[in-house]
Amino acid sequence: MSFRVLNAGVFTLLQDRGRFKYSHLGVTNSGFLDEYAAFTANRLLDNNLDTNALEIAFPNLILEATKNTTISITGAYCDFFINDILENTWQTHSIKKGDILKIGKFHSGQRVYLAVKNGFDTNKEFGSNSTTLKEQFGKKLEKNDILPFHEHSEFKKRRLHEKFLPKYENNLVLRVLLSYQEEEFSKEEKEKFFCSEYEITPDFNRMACKLKGEAISSNLDGVISEPIAYGAIQIPKDGQPIILLKERQTIGGYPKIGTVLAIDCFKLAQMKIGSKVKFEQIDIQTAQKKLRDFYSIFS
Amino acid sequence: MQIKALSADSLIIYFSDFISKETHNEVKSVYTTLLSLKIDAFIEVVPSYNSILITYDIFEYDYSSIKTYLERSLSSIVEKEEKSSTLVTIDVYYGEEVSFDLNRVAKLNKLSIEEVVEIHTSKIYDVYAIGFLPGFAYLASIDDKIKTSRLETPRKSIPKGSVAIADNQTAVYPQNSPGGWNILGKTTFEFFDKSLENLSSIDFNSKIKFNSISKEQFLEQGGSFEF
Repeated sequence: MSFRVLNAGVFTLLQDRGRFKYSHLGVTNSGFLDEYAAFTANRLLDNNLDTNALEIAFPNLILEATKNTTISITGAYCDFFINDILENTWQTHSIKKGDILKIGKFHSGQRVYLAVKNGFDTNKEFGSNSTTLKEQFGKKLEKNDILPFHEHSEFKKRRLHEKFLPKYENNLVLRVLLSYQEEEFSKEEKEKFFCSEYEITPDFNRMACKLKGEAISSNLDGVISEPIAYGAIQIPKDGQPIILLKERQTIGGYPKIGTVLAIDCFKLAQMKIGSKVKFEQIDIQTAQKKLRDFYSIFS
Repeated sequence: MQIKALSADSLIIYFSDFISKETHNEVKSVYTTLLSLKIDAFIEVVPSYNSILITYDIFEYDYSSIKTYLERSLSSIVEKEEKSSTLVTIDVYYGEEVSFDLNRVAKLNKLSIEEVVEIHTSKIYDVYAIGFLPGFAYLASIDDKIKTSRLETPRKSIPKGSVAIADNQTAVYPQNSPGGWNILGKTTFEFFDKSLENLSSIDFNSKIKFNSISKEQFLEQGGSFEF
């Protein structure tokens, strides 16, 4: 026993950094949709970044602790209660046997991360605890599930400094590296792509984010099926861009104009439907530097 | 061979603009060489019809250094002989209980059902790509005589193990799935097997042949007609 799930919420999944080295067999990487929030949750606990945590997409998760531990909670700003007392997020909390944790209404952001000291003690499947329902790895959290962890009674109070707290807003700039079939998009089409504002449609999940706005067209109907990088931007026949995320198919044949910087994909994961995004061009050196800097802050 | 940066931590190697046996052999040679280099910094190496994606550790390489490394390492590849491929024979039951589109394929190609089965089982197929689902291997090329386009309306659910064809490729659905390919039969062979350390007994280097079996044999192997 460790956490007993009194109420699971509509869509709560166990995730970690992802399942790697099986993409050549069609297995998608999966993993935390918002690595900034998830890695911060682990960092606050001195956990390895790859330690598993719960990714909570809807309110009403209720857990009962049957052991002492320390937890951290990050991601969407929400009503978080321990024994009916409202507590802050983006920090650690001491949990005693018998405590009831509840995640209530979300105020901004779309995903909450709840991590436990040293992670949940669950078997990995092919190197990972990441849940991918479509591939039958893991499952949704359900009422009466048990989430085991090792008891930990030493408490270190840690919170993220205010200046590093993310602001989840209704608009976002997505930095894009032009790649894939970018030469098949004319100068005018590229200009349109970078000057238009796009809206996030309800077609938005762990696999992809479909946008609505100025149609973009290329010289191609399709391409020979090729491997899909994280953040790839597909432009199908209707010209509406689709950004591919953690549970994307490993290969695909739609034309692609480039990829969104991973850091901006993490931010995208916290945006709500109806929000607006704009694309901004970035070059490979800048993209690599930004990504290296991002991962460096956690070490 | 053309190398392009795809994202901050991945690149793609493009080969020709065609799907062909020649291109496939070229991709296979380079893929095999990449794996043999045993570079820890290569996180994913994913081959497809005419391309290979590499996701790499950007603390070990930046784009320009990995591009240089690859150009050097791959510059003198001699196309490898095919002798190192493993042949996998897959038993398939082509009976009416499971071959939803066998009649259609036969009719469209002006052949008898027996002839379609004979043609489908006579070739050794290469794995041109794996994707769509874990273990969904795109096998090529089927004989022109049984080439058939996809169904106009895809099925909402195809049973796991269904053996199918579309255009000039054939594949087996590794799990229940929606799909628009023509179903010719069913197999109990697992393309996606969690009990295996490698998750599958087939990979990009496999060669596949289908073998027609009777209803009795199919049932003996654990086959079922249920969804």
